[in-house]
Amino acid sequence: MTNGPSHEEATRALESIRHDQSKVIAQIALPSWYWWGLAAGWIVLGVVSDLHNPWWISIATLAFGAAHASVAHWVIGGRQGSTQLRVRGEVAGAFTPWLIIGCLVALVAITIVGAVAGSVNGVSHPVTIASVGVAIIIVLGGPRLMGVVRRRAARRLGLP
Amino acid sequence: MTVTPRFDEIIHPSTRLSIVALLAGADWVDFSFARDQLGLSDSALSKQFATLEEAGYLSIERPMTGRRRRVHVRLTGAGRTAFDGHVAALQEIVATSAPTRQEEADHASN
Repeated sequence: MTNGPSHEEATRALESIRHDQSKVIAQIALPSWYWWGLAAGWIVLGVVSDLHNPWWISIATLAFGAAHASVAHWVIGGRQGSTQLRVRGEVAGAFTPWLIIGCLVALVAITIVGAVAGSVNGVSHPVTIASVGVAIIIVLGGPRLMGVVRRRAARRLGLP
Repeated sequence: MTVTPRFDEIIHPSTRLSIVALLAGADWVDFSFARDQLGLSDSALSKQFATLEEAGYLSIERPMTGRRRRVHVRLTGAGRTAFDGHVAALQEIVATSAPTRQEEADHASN
């Protein structure tokens, strides 16, 4: 190779590439409507559970599961957080959907523990109260969780 | 997959390098996103896109979303290969060459 860039120019070019790639990583997110919808669905499920009607509980659980499944497959990868681009799967990382699913399982466990604790202590509507608590965690914690995903993606690309 | 280092004169100018680096992290990027992130005018960006499209490095699509026609830009396979090879070539230069005395002096003064 003749007349190639110098050491300094090559270093600057690589820094510029990292800077531009960090702009794409910043777009890894789940749409805000996903977190709000999940929180609202969680509360509705809690309220219905406190009605102690197995039919309503079954219908609400199935409806919640179906609604979540219909959007989850294209949302929870974190690649569609913006309407202005679609982040590449290898940049967002295959780990993101598993992280979200793991968190959902943890939230179910927290709801059950909260509801049982409320019930033991004689609180009225224990599942509703536990669900509201979890819904707050979802709305506040969801976007922060995606911050973890972005930092992980940045580290993978060698960004600070 | 092994990447062959290959310095690419089409990609290397700073504006085009930024465009390709931005596109490399995405399946597609909206024209307005690229324009805003790179701080270029519509005409300047279109000109760079045309050069890269002519080289076969990117493709431009115009899908309809609602009533609006968007402009989506994506790297082609050739563009991605060229970018990966270019990055590998830059990394090779950094790894194998030492900074010159002048560059060290410039760096120290900054």
